[in-house]
Amino acid sequence: MKELMRIEGLKMYFGGLKAIDGFDLSIYEKETLGIIGPNGAGKTTLFNAICGVYTPTAGKVIFEGKEVQGTPAHEMAKKGIARTFQISKPLAGLTIFDNVVAAAGVHEYTGIASYFHKAKTKEVEDKVEQVIRRVGLESVANKKASDVSLGFLRRLEIARALVTEPKLIMLDEPCAGLSNFAINEITALVMQLKSEGQSIVLIEHNLPITMKVCDRITVLSYGKKIAEGTPEEVKNDKQVIEAYLGEEDD
Amino acid sequence: MNTYYLYSILATAAIFTMLALSLNIITGYAGQAMMGIAAFFGIGAYTAAIITTNGGNFFLALAAGMLVSGAFGAVLGVISLRLQADFLAITTIGINFVMEALFNRMKITGGTLGLTISKPVIFGVKMGNKQFFFLAVIFIVILCLLLVKMRKSWFGMALASINNDSAAARSFGINVNKYQILAFTIGTAMAGLAGGIYAHRMGFISASDFAFVVSIQVVSMVVIGGLGTIRGPIFGALLITSLPEILRFAKDYRELVYGLLLVLMVRFMPQGLIGDDSPLWNALTGLWRKVFPKKKTRADLIVESVKGGEQA
Repeated sequence: MKELMRIEGLKMYFGGLKAIDGFDLSIYEKETLGIIGPNGAGKTTLFNAICGVYTPTAGKVIFEGKEVQGTPAHEMAKKGIARTFQISKPLAGLTIFDNVVAAAGVHEYTGIASYFHKAKTKEVEDKVEQVIRRVGLESVANKKASDVSLGFLRRLEIARALVTEPKLIMLDEPCAGLSNFAINEITALVMQLKSEGQSIVLIEHNLPITMKVCDRITVLSYGKKIAEGTPEEVKNDKQVIEAYLGEEDD
Repeated sequence: MNTYYLYSILATAAIFTMLALSLNIITGYAGQAMMGIAAFFGIGAYTAAIITTNGGNFFLALAAGMLVSGAFGAVLGVISLRLQADFLAITTIGINFVMEALFNRMKITGGTLGLTISKPVIFGVKMGNKQFFFLAVIFIVILCLLLVKMRKSWFGMALASINNDSAAARSFGINVNKYQILAFTIGTAMAGLAGGIYAHRMGFISASDFAFVVSIQVVSMVVIGGLGTIRGPIFGALLITSLPEILRFAKDYRELVYGLLLVLMVRFMPQGLIGDDSPLWNALTGLWRKVFPKKKTRADLIVESVKGGEQA
């Protein structure tokens, strides 16, 4: 399998807090990689350091053979790394459709020049409609994002990421706060993306889902990798059990 | 009411409409708190006035006022990147006070005595209230056309995204910093243009013309009309500039009335009187839609396609 992204010795410190403390990871094309870990393990910080929200304190992020660490978030999106947010960030005043349109413009936001290009051309609307149908947002397409339920907002996050046609999609807890029914639907959606050959990194608290969806899982605890392997290997790892359930009394 | 008086009010209303539209670019579209638009109004006014009093061409002076004000605005845009909402509001208030003090102290701006500007003569016509009114209207029409185009462009989409959520905007490729600086530059440049017209129309300017209270007036116009729309600021500017005539009985308490109106609007009708989704605007468009049904958007069609499918 071809390597899509490699992370080498990544460190992300906030003053004395070592949120990520020397992290290595390879992400391969067309694989679904899960990142799990207890609360506060540094999962979202890791996403933010990879996606350019933060500049890593040290280490490298290599995407398609080029070093990209410290590249601003908007440039990362243009390079083909799309991410969703753990806490949904809809453009509340816009419709669901327009939210996806906004993301479809990923390569259009060039500054002054963008004034001279109409946003909602037929091509853009076609593309947006296709993504909206793909993730199941048809019934709320003309609703304002502030008026739809969390389940739809989760799908919207995924739709906005997909419409940028990313090489790598990074999902930050797409099932957080959802009902079982909605979780199943999102899981089905991720499975579908996977079957289409999309490279995916998934942060998820729901372990059964992560185990089901992912080809490989990396376990993060206190900013360090404590295990990595197939779901089966990780499930039986002593350190992982300790990190999640605490040590057994002797 | 004689026509001289009428055009005097109309000219003021038109100039303030330009100001309200320029503030709307920064606050309404890009969502950046800006409480010091009068400072840029002043920079444009003094720049243009200094140029024409030194024998420069009137239109050249207007362009220069626009450029200088926009340049200062770009600097503020850079500053704004490091400041969140409330802090940006306070900083811009501060800038307004600093600029007013500078206008009052500097030799080039005439100090406390202000500047006297002779009325320009264009094509043999000495510009009066009427001419300034029509000049401002031309600029307003051009500006509105540009704004309509902007809202449909990727530029407009970028500003709308930043206004709603800048972290989300970054996640799909928007260079938030760049667009924020552009919004400040364009908005303040427009305010500078309005300033140039104002200075020549008044024939005399002094620092108090560009005081903080003027900024608040412009904020009131935009908020009362409807933030983030084109019609809102125009309506707000017309309303607020005609209010002093209506509120003559209130005399010295006019500022109080503005303040009260602003507080009430923000509390009870944040969309403004005729902003999107305001009760009044919904009622008006409701009537209009009965006669002329709204053209269905692509999003409406998508929704219909599934709703229709369910019924079948």
